Amino acid sequence: MRKLVTLLFMGFILAGSLALTSEQARAADPIKVGILLPITGKHAKFGEIEKLSFEMAVAEINKKGGVNGRLIKLIIEDTTGKPDVGRSAAEKLISQDKVVMLGGGYSSSVTAATAGVAINKGFPFLVNTGSADIITQPTAHTPSGKKAAKLKKSLKKEKDKAKIAKIKKEIAAFQARADKEVERILPRFSIFRLNPPVSEYASGLEGFLAEVVKPKTVAILHENSLFGTKGAASFEKSAKRLGIKVLLKEGYDAGAVDFKPLLAKVKSKNPDLVYMVSYILDASLLMNQSMELKMNPKLFAGAAAGFTLPEFKENAGKASEKVVSATLWHQSLPLPGAKEYFDKFRKKYNRDTEYHGAEAYSAAYVIADVLKRAKSHKAKDIRTALAQTDMMTVFGPVKFVSYKQMINQNKLETYVVQWIDGKLRMIWPKNLSKTHYVYPVDWLKERK
Amino acid sequence: MDLFLQTLVSGFLKGGLYALIGMGMTLIMGVMGIINLAHGQIMMVGMYITYSLFALYGVDPYLSLFVSMPAIFVLGVTIQKYLLNPLLRAETILPENQVLMTVGVGMVLTEVMRFIFTSDYKSARTSYSNATFFLGEISFSVPLVIDLFIAIMMTVALFLFLVKTDTGKSIRATAQDKEAASLMGINAERITYITFGLGSALVAAAGTLLMPIFYLFPDIGGPFTRKAFVICVLGGLGSTVGAIFGGITLGLAEAFGATYVAMEFEDMIGLVMFILVLLFLPGGFKRITKI
Repeated sequence: MRKLVTLLFMGFILAGSLALTSEQARAADPIKVGILLPITGKHAKFGEIEKLSFEMAVAEINKKGGVNGRLIKLIIEDTTGKPDVGRSAAEKLISQDKVVMLGGGYSSSVTAATAGVAINKGFPFLVNTGSADIITQPTAHTPSGKKAAKLKKSLKKEKDKAKIAKIKKEIAAFQARADKEVERILPRFSIFRLNPPVSEYASGLEGFLAEVVKPKTVAILHENSLFGTKGAASFEKSAKRLGIKVLLKEGYDAGAVDFKPLLAKVKSKNPDLVYMVSYILDASLLMNQSMELKMNPKLFAGAAAGFTLPEFKENAGKASEKVVSATLWHQSLPLPGAKEYFDKFRKKYNRDTEYHGAEAYSAAYVIADVLKRAKSHKAKDIRTALAQTDMMTVFGPVKFVSYKQMINQNKLETYVVQWIDGKLRMIWPKNLSKTHYVYPVDWLKERK
Repeated sequence: MDLFLQTLVSGFLKGGLYALIGMGMTLIMGVMGIINLAHGQIMMVGMYITYSLFALYGVDPYLSLFVSMPAIFVLGVTIQKYLLNPLLRAETILPENQVLMTVGVGMVLTEVMRFIFTSDYKSARTSYSNATFFLGEISFSVPLVIDLFIAIMMTVALFLFLVKTDTGKSIRATAQDKEAASLMGINAERITYITFGLGSALVAAAGTLLMPIFYLFPDIGGPFTRKAFVICVLGGLGSTVGAIFGGITLGLAEAFGATYVAMEFEDMIGLVMFILVLLFLPGGFKRITKI
């Protein structure tokens, strides 16, 4: 008798636990999506604006009923702006939190590192900010591809002709091997990117320079990071195309106290254009100290990133006035929902937003769309659904294509903004801009 | 020529602050014979005090020197009294335990500040943060010039204190020979508290002076500890005059490196000098100046 009772009892427990794991019970669970952002650390301001935008978008999506009746739950993991922390955060989201896909990805160095984790597992990762070209180039993620890239770098410093020929041969060999290795990665290459790559950040700015400023010489300053060096290298190519002579191209370590020796050197060369690829605090210090040195080139231009955040104006004060920057988005663009997003953000958080926020907001909508279309929430099906994406967002149309060795890359225009009377205004391309650019600028008068 | 002079001025002004940072460390090194690897972190705490006063009550960063220095003095005394000195009494395998302790103290300070203020970058922008004046074509940053002036005053005050006062003489005596000083009736343990407090207060002052022109986050301590260490080795361990030389040399080297080599190598230049001095002039400038 006693045995029977025990058996019955156990039977009940078993039945109960089975019922709990049934499909119905799981359908009520929210869908977990992992988001990698720098919530603390030196890139915290960028992480903050993206986090707020992600949360706003997901709240809207869930209010409208979520995805196929299930709510979306964001698990935001802090990368602290460091590649190693980013890697372990990605590992944790995938294996411990069991998220269905990854989103976010700020700063090129961190995103390139975390992308490696995702590729190894074939795990879908929708990048919305990390911009170095290599992130969506499959060959760059193979061991031989990495070696070839390293050799290419050493090639630049080499002067001996015999050695150059030797290194070139080695590079070719590595590249051939990388092409073979890539075949293994390719079927499950899982990185998709919403934002344009850094090599195209200045494409809008190029038009402005060619038609309005017409500079003859340029000094390029950049941070010694993946984003900084790649951004500077691609602008050097732009300058060549436009016939602008590069007088100086120099990197600096983030966190320097005094940029004056570097800026004094720039000043002594007297370039028409000063182009800077910097994150926010260095951007502010660079502008402040250029003011202290009374630099007066034709134009100060920034490569997006640090130059469009509201905090740039707060930290640089009047030194930010009339500074021009490349940008990937502006609320005045004729995109459906762009202005509404800007107004909603302002109403909800009582502060301005800019292109980083728009990227995150749109990424959330793309994620919701993908999860809706995916046959199941297995990595393979989400990858397929991502590849088939074709939708309009506040950031612009999203459709993943392949070009310039990049695959799964969204192709978008870039624009130019200028800080005019403390407000970030879009000034280029002309036919889309409501505000006329201020040029020429007398920087000395501007900052009195 | 303007470029040369501008570099010279920038390097010298920055060197003044470096000297102040180095002096605190070298003082501690002289008396206790240990390297304080929490030096930059203590400076970071001083900067947070300045920042809080500025953000909450609008206190001018220069005025907050009167708060940050005494507060960090107390912090320094506490660290020495309750964390470092007890290690001397314990029978340990490693005589370097005090140094290891300072590493731990530095980490704890960083994490505590991260807990309170998060890792966000903070700055105290004042109306004069970007003020400049010009001599010919050379630009002088007003806050940095004021900083240099205050740093010089503090150095003079420190020297008067060490040379003229009873406590100062006791510190020097303890630095020269701890056991002999004890035999002469100096309370060596009390001297260690005072020295650590004083060294900490000096670096807190440097942090406070840096606040109007720079920014702040919890991890800022590490790089400054490294710089302080380089300065002390350049100047000669334990030598106050050496620290002044070391600080200004490092400031100038970084500035000239940035102008005539490349700014990318700013940190490398300091460390290369560090190695060269260790190899060819062990003992630093102290060997030349003899002070």
